[in-house]
Amino acid sequence: MTSSQLVKMRLELRRGVLVLAVLGLLKQPHYGYSLRKQLQDGGIDIDEGTLYPLVRRLAEQGLLDSEWRQAEGRERRYYQLSSSGAELLSQLTEEWQQLNGALAFLLGQVTDENTEEN
Amino acid sequence: MELVDRYIAAVQRELPEDKRQEISRELKANICDQLDALAEQGELSESQIAAVLKQMGHPAQVAWQFVPPSPIVANEDISLFKYTLYMVLGVLFVLQVIGGATQWLGASEGSLLGFLLHIVHGFIGDACFAFTVIVLSFWSFSIQGKSISAGCSKDWQPQQLPKVAPSWQHIRFSDVFSDLATYLFLLMVIWSSVWMSAEQLAARSVIFSVNVQQLLQWFSPIILLSILNSFWQLRRQVWTETLLLTNMGINLAYALFLVFLAFNSPLLQVQGSDLNGLFTVQQLDKWLSHALLVTALFPSYECIRDLLRWRKLIAS
Repeated sequence: MTSSQLVKMRLELRRGVLVLAVLGLLKQPHYGYSLRKQLQDGGIDIDEGTLYPLVRRLAEQGLLDSEWRQAEGRERRYYQLSSSGAELLSQLTEEWQQLNGALAFLLGQVTDENTEEN
Repeated sequence: MELVDRYIAAVQRELPEDKRQEISRELKANICDQLDALAEQGELSESQIAAVLKQMGHPAQVAWQFVPPSPIVANEDISLFKYTLYMVLGVLFVLQVIGGATQWLGASEGSLLGFLLHIVHGFIGDACFAFTVIVLSFWSFSIQGKSISAGCSKDWQPQQLPKVAPSWQHIRFSDVFSDLATYLFLLMVIWSSVWMSAEQLAARSVIFSVNVQQLLQWFSPIILLSILNSFWQLRRQVWTETLLLTNMGINLAYALFLVFLAFNSPLLQVQGSDLNGLFTVQQLDKWLSHALLVTALFPSYECIRDLLRWRKLIAS
């Protein structure tokens, strides 16, 4: 597999998970930069060019509420989960846990088969 | 900060007008937060600011991510779009052949090259116009977020799907439309005495002999049948046993008729003045006779091809 293929596959794999991570973090209000910092601290590195448009799209879909606030002499737009966003998050979390369990089982099987072959 | 302002202005230029203010306001706030975090480690140089902006991405790319461009034709409509395009272009080609043939036969010194150039030139003009109209029609649905073929995709039934067929069994639009254009052209040539004025008819130096003209007119019902057969092919889009048999019969009739015609000299006759001394009518007659025999090979080939396909179809 070439490095460009790996980059593309990783992007595809992370795309859906990223929404879940952002919705999960926005149970608390965050502005763009603080959200990115929180994701980075949690081990998810995402570039600004992807994160900020994603947050806006989620807000446009009614999953996030937003408001402009003045803080430290500068205005910032804070985002937080809306009620429909919270509902979606709980459904997605359940889905993720099922998927994660299934994948852990499947990937475990593959690892076992590889070990036996060796 | 001047670099940041320039960057924001560049992003703004790529955004739709109604979203410029809001997105640039938010983007600027985010960039400033990032720069503030870096400034905590010491005063920022211009190259550090430039590095942050470079990491954000090219202004056009950032703008596309905020407002993704909508496709001109919705993904689910692509196959319908292609189908519409082929059909319209096919019909325009046939109309262009009819128009070109009318002009060519009506001209006293019309050359074959001029006729072909007229068709190509006219078709390109019409095709560009049709392409623009079709794209704009699909685009108007796409920007409204509607899909033209959405209704079709929900009501389908597996039982209605066509049987598994080899690739040769699918009839190509291009084949049907080129056949249609040929048949209509033939009809126009044969019946030119009906639609051409007396002056136009008198201006022609060479015409079919009386005998050949009569034979061609008797053959017209077969040409009409071929046109109906082409419409039937357009409707079915798949070769069936009946369609293959009909096509075989038609092609056999064409092959036999062309061979018969080739041996029915004289094919042509001079009308009024001579042929400017370039060729004699006997030479033209001979060439036309050979051309008819060569042309007869095409329907003969299609006849044998359809016979083999028909045998394959009944065996499966």
